[in-house]
Amino acid sequence: MSDQEGTGAASTPPERIVIGIAFGNSNSSIAFTSKEGKAEVIANEDGDRQIPSMLSYVQGEEYHGTQAKTHLVRNSKNTIAYFRDFLGQDFKSIDPTPCHASAHPIEHESTVAFSIQESAEEGTHVPITVSEITTRHLRRLASSASDFLGKSVNAAVITVPTDFSEKQRDALISAAQVAGIDILQIIHEPIATVLAYDARPESKVLDKVVVVADFGGTRSDVAIIASRGGMYTILATAHDYSLGGANLDQALIDYFAKEFTKKHKTDPRENTRSLAKLKLEAEATKKALSLGASGSFSVESLADGIDYNSTVNRTRYELLAGKVFSGFTRLVEGAIQKAGLDVLDVDEVILSGGASHTPKIACILQSVFPEKASILAPSTSATAINPSELAARGAAIQANLIQEFDKEDIEQSTHPVVTATPHLAYAIGVVAISSDEKHGIFKPLMEAETAVPVRRSAQIATPKEGGDVLIRICEGLREIKAHKPEPKPKVNGNKPGNASDGDGEDSGVSDDDEEEIRQIVWKAGRVLAEAAIRGVKKGGKVEVGVNVGEDLSLSITAREVGGKGGVRGVVGRPKAAENGSA
Amino acid sequence: MASTQVILPLPILPEGWTGEKDFRPFSSISTATSRNIEPVGPHFLAHARRKRHQRTFSEDDR
Ligand SMILES: Nc1ncnc2c1ncn2[C@@H]1O[C@H](COP(=O)(O)OP(=O)(O)OP(=O)(O)O)[C@@H](O)[C@H]1O
Ligand SMILES: [Mg+2]
Repeated sequence: MSDQEGTGAASTPPERIVIGIAFGNSNSSIAFTSKEGKAEVIANEDGDRQIPSMLSYVQGEEYHGTQAKTHLVRNSKNTIAYFRDFLGQDFKSIDPTPCHASAHPIEHESTVAFSIQESAEEGTHVPITVSEITTRHLRRLASSASDFLGKSVNAAVITVPTDFSEKQRDALISAAQVAGIDILQIIHEPIATVLAYDARPESKVLDKVVVVADFGGTRSDVAIIASRGGMYTILATAHDYSLGGANLDQALIDYFAKEFTKKHKTDPRENTRSLAKLKLEAEATKKALSLGASGSFSVESLADGIDYNSTVNRTRYELLAGKVFSGFTRLVEGAIQKAGLDVLDVDEVILSGGASHTPKIACILQSVFPEKASILAPSTSATAINPSELAARGAAIQANLIQEFDKEDIEQSTHPVVTATPHLAYAIGVVAISSDEKHGIFKPLMEAETAVPVRRSAQIATPKEGGDVLIRICEGLREIKAHKPEPKPKVNGNKPGNASDGDGEDSGVSDDDEEEIRQIVWKAGRVLAEAAIRGVKKGGKVEVGVNVGEDLSLSITAREVGGKGGVRGVVGRPKAAENGSA
Repeated sequence: MASTQVILPLPILPEGWTGEKDFRPFSSISTATSRNIEPVGPHFLAHARRKRHQRTFSEDDR
């Protein structure tokens, strides 16, 4: 997407006012990038930054967001909620479960609709298609953003899950078009999330494996991302369409409903309106439990006109929700496995989505990953970004990057011709010598799963006295070595007289408890090239540059830092015959 | 990306090692995997620009 190649832009289209939009089944967010280049999430007129993706029709009035959500109690049939995933789908392929307590989706022509009494007149139900409701929702979002910015928003970058189909994307673009919003680009939610973190001024461009765990309201999505020099490639994804914050709410609903039933001999879950009240309050209690050690739960006239007040502490809550938490963890572990990776390969775990505010989720994940991995969640990192805002922020950052580009430019640059790219099968690096051993150690300069063309460089130390040194460039194989730590000599553990027993073979309670130590080790694989730098001065360093071209040819440069000349050489690209032989 | 610093030293050049202009190619890299880069972020934009103009890194640096 180049900014300066518009071949004589003749007509000046109206000024583009662009925002980022995150559109979820449960909530949506709008964000913009300020003149200073900072992404900020916009609060709507109700003061909400997480705007429920809901619209409610009451006596001819349209309510949106939180106002619509409160209508789930008294006016559930006329309240449309959890519809994002229905967009662009056949009725037969949708799962209507999340809508059982709001307007039900119906089949309408080739699409999905909701039967709504839009006007004040009784019995005047009309089908509102999912496209139409999306248009109305996006129009409300854009109008809130316009009010805030004081300028009329007419374009956006919007986020979708990684499994959104072409048809769903097209439906989204059309629905936005009708709302007067030109979708400049649709981007993947987890990529927007990574970008929100990487765009921070203090972030360094590194090669890293990032896990984005997005725990939302009705669904959870995990993406494993190879982040290489600021470019992102999704290695694997995993989705669970019936796991999310709603399951945490359900755990609390069941707990309080049982308590209530014990006292009052009536189960509030059996009455639609009582259940709706339970749901709203359980969600509020759950959010309180993310911050405090206990959460209160109080509902006026829960059932049979009885008010209900109770509390739950965090420990109890975490027990109640234990199964849901393990579901989240399993989804993450499954995705890593799908990517052919190990938890040890992961450098960063970004928790996104509303449910990621839950401290216990971050705490469990922290125990799953090695210490070097940063778990970016509010309870584990002081500098974490609000997980509910990540996707919208990322969208706003991307919107700011491309806002000047021609539509055609954007389309060309996002086309597979540009995005489909060979990625290195193995790391490429150089052999160095460890201080005590005689054999070499592989030091990666570029990691596997790096898109080409790519170049990297390193400054490498030389032997104490300098002299002539060898630069051996090879591919590296990453292996995971597991070993039990040396059994500690027991001081008190053994019964007297047992001392002569063989160390390894006691029926041992404690030895087997020793955790296996697992670590990544590099093995030098195929040698690609060697070079010599002669006469390096004492204490000198050698700078090695490695460049893999688009055709997979390899060029290498090496020279003494501060020295003249140096060596350069090229290794040709792999022959077609070698295809797949790796 | 910034240059990596490797603290472990390079090996001493083995006696008798020769190469044309001190360089010896051995083998090309393994065949690559085709994947999609996500068209997002400033570094992708630079990549796309190079690709569309068929420019190399160093041409791009200028
Ligand atoms: N502070 C909090 N603590 C715990 N849970 C929270 C908190 N804030 C929001 N949530 C929960 O997060 C969920 C909504 O997450 P999010 O806004 O990311 O959903 P979404 O992506 O729109 O939804 P979906 O998964 O349905 O598409 C809800 O279950 C909500 O109760
Ligand atoms: Mg979501």
